[in-house]
Amino acid sequence: MTTVVEFRNATKEFRGNPAVRNVDFALKQGEVHALVGENGAGKSTLTKVLAGLYPLTSGQMLMDGRPAYFASPAEAMEAGVAMVFQETNLIPSMNVAQNIFLGDESFFNRLRGINIKAQQHLQRLNFHVEPTALVSSLGAAKKQMVEIARAVHHNARIFIFDEPTATLTPEEKEHFFALVDRLKGEGASIIFISHALEEALSHADRISVLRDGELIVTDDTANFTRETIVQAMVGRQLTDELYGNAATLRTPRAPGEKVLALENVSMGKAVRSATLSVFAGQVTGLFGLVGAGRTEMMKIAAGVLKRDFFHGGRIRLHGEPVRFRVPRQAVTRGIAYITEDRKVDGLFDTMGIAQNIFLGKLVQGSNPLSVVSMTEARENAAQWIKSLNVRSISDTSRVVELSGGNQQKVVIAKSLIQEPSIIIFDEPTRGVDVGAIAEIHQIIEALADAGAAVVVISSYLPEVLNLSDRILVARQGRIVEEMTVDEATEEKIMYAAVH
Amino acid sequence: MSTTNANPANAPRVSGLFKSQEGIVLILAFVAFVAFSLLLPSFFSAGNLLTLVRSVSILGILALGMAIVVIGRGIDVSMIATMVVSVSWAFVLARSGYSLEVSLVIGALFALCAGVAIGILVAFGEVPPIFATLAAGSVIYGLGRTFFFQLEMQNVPPGHEWFSLFGQARILGIPITVVTFGVLCILIHFLLSRTRFGWQVYAMGNNPEAARITGVPSRPMILAQYAVSAFVAYGAGLILASSASAINARLFNSTMIYDILLVVVLGGIGLNGGHGKVRNVVLGTIFVGILLNGMTILNIDYTIQNLVKGVVLLLAIVIDSLVNPRDEQTSQQGDL
Repeated sequence: MTTVVEFRNATKEFRGNPAVRNVDFALKQGEVHALVGENGAGKSTLTKVLAGLYPLTSGQMLMDGRPAYFASPAEAMEAGVAMVFQETNLIPSMNVAQNIFLGDESFFNRLRGINIKAQQHLQRLNFHVEPTALVSSLGAAKKQMVEIARAVHHNARIFIFDEPTATLTPEEKEHFFALVDRLKGEGASIIFISHALEEALSHADRISVLRDGELIVTDDTANFTRETIVQAMVGRQLTDELYGNAATLRTPRAPGEKVLALENVSMGKAVRSATLSVFAGQVTGLFGLVGAGRTEMMKIAAGVLKRDFFHGGRIRLHGEPVRFRVPRQAVTRGIAYITEDRKVDGLFDTMGIAQNIFLGKLVQGSNPLSVVSMTEARENAAQWIKSLNVRSISDTSRVVELSGGNQQKVVIAKSLIQEPSIIIFDEPTRGVDVGAIAEIHQIIEALADAGAAVVVISSYLPEVLNLSDRILVARQGRIVEEMTVDEATEEKIMYAAVH
Repeated sequence: MSTTNANPANAPRVSGLFKSQEGIVLILAFVAFVAFSLLLPSFFSAGNLLTLVRSVSILGILALGMAIVVIGRGIDVSMIATMVVSVSWAFVLARSGYSLEVSLVIGALFALCAGVAIGILVAFGEVPPIFATLAAGSVIYGLGRTFFFQLEMQNVPPGHEWFSLFGQARILGIPITVVTFGVLCILIHFLLSRTRFGWQVYAMGNNPEAARITGVPSRPMILAQYAVSAFVAYGAGLILASSASAINARLFNSTMIYDILLVVVLGGIGLNGGHGKVRNVVLGTIFVGILLNGMTILNIDYTIQNLVKGVVLLLAIVIDSLVNPRDEQTSQQGDL
């Protein structure tokens, strides 16, 4: 097999921090190559260099044995490299055919002509997607198909998939890998980034493990086992203490007072008559696939979103019906929602750590003219910086300069300083390094032990099983299953989530 | 030890001056000042400098009001409309029999109502601030011209010495206009940097959705911001009327609102909110003041003046985006 892409001693730095360091990597013709590693290991960065999103800081990239340099994704596309992102880059308001031919239209276009061409193209690939359907109406798997069809249309021969299966249901996953096999059969080379080691083991020809920007090992899949990959990924045996069989060892906490209840709550198409209860002194895990409406349910409870005005159901806080119009009302009643996307609605990124945390406390007062000072902010934040172990050069460092784990701790501290009694964690460990995951889990446990009602929304089954005392499973906007942790298994939860 | 440290310690400070927008504007202002002083004999005279500072103070006061809204990720292009209508109406009322004091209070209330109404549009109607204030400005001006006053030029009602003192008197040789600007700078600096209101404004400008979820009372805060800017506009209008003995409604059709934005942007208050301090407004005011005054003395045509202002504004925005580039890493961090 010939080598189509090769990195030699490749390094990519962001502001002096290497994200990829001295990597030698080769992709062979017609192989499926899995890239695995923790968050921040440099997988995405390496592939983004190949896709023309970033230039290399030093080192060389060769294509077909010749040095190659892509100044833009368009140039990479021209050379046959296509990257399919986790969030697809399709234009939702256009139909499938328009998306496939995007950037390749003739001067005059007839929608019907494009639709027919797209239809032929999709049929040749054996994809079952309606070319006239609006992209916004498609599910995640179909969007991926469109993305792949577009890449094939542009004569791509190297495909990069960034976490392709994260948003797919099990059937869709099978479909996806059948697709990958077909592409491979046509001689394409495929790189896929994945967190799911089983997928890498069962579908890849070769596996490369990255850690802290360095390539640790590349080998044929046959020479790997789950354990050896994990060991290469973390460089230490950490997975067991993190996601071990803790769930089966401990007894669940007994439920305290029923503090929050959603009764037949509905909101548009996202939440359909959801009913759930949250009890004090325990962790309620809320599992569901993407699009199950988990986040929306809890955002309604926290006043961030509003439920339907008519037939919107009822929310009871300590037994008393409430309707929050703005989050502030929920915050004053002791409900804290800790966002799943700290970049979008969690952090004040140009402010310092102390100021970020202190804002949580600041908003609890009402007199707009009361005097505040940086000293007061730092004093108030100090205790939380210490107890949550936020590591930084100083407490006035801007939060953009922090690692994902530390940023998450700042967001958590900003809510905890308000001393809430109901705390909703939405994907608390997304984009967080392994060390910080353990610390954040400890924080969550400690809160429940102290008597708070904690809700943890997570898409990662081991996390749900490890943390929760009670597990709720959401599907299509409602809660479909409730179980205590000692009767729950991964299979049971997954079965409820997809069927 | 200290001698070896002296150079590295100084180097970043000087280069920092060239790198920040503030630094660049400060240097440009200085260069412009020196150039005009050397080239134009009439520029560097006590009389002219005083005119410069006084005329620019009103711009500065208006820019302070604008700055609060801009830091909170809004924009208020209705300030001039609010200013001319509320002041003109107060004068009309004073002529029609009310005492001047009562009329001025009514004018202030009108300005506040206008500000709150705009705030309601933005906060509850969720109309983008630029459209809300653009439309509201026309509505306010239209209402004023239709129902409150007919003449474009409204003179200060006669027989009120104290009112003209307000814009023309001096304290220790400094015109009251300038003193007011200074005092207002201190007040608003305190408001922004040392009060709950100010910190919440920065939080909202920085990340409105995060601020909302954290529990910032976003809607009342938006109302308050526009009310403050309307009130500031009214105050600026009074000073303007007092020093010129009249207020001219035609200001609404002038480029004044763009001059205010020029001051705010040039000084370094980013239009995307969450950045900037009162000192940026002061800096912008001084630079724009020198520029406008110099061009007036040079007898440059009004159209050319506007062209120059436009070019400077564009340069300021371009330099801002070059000096503070939107880094690919800050816009999409998450996963490396």
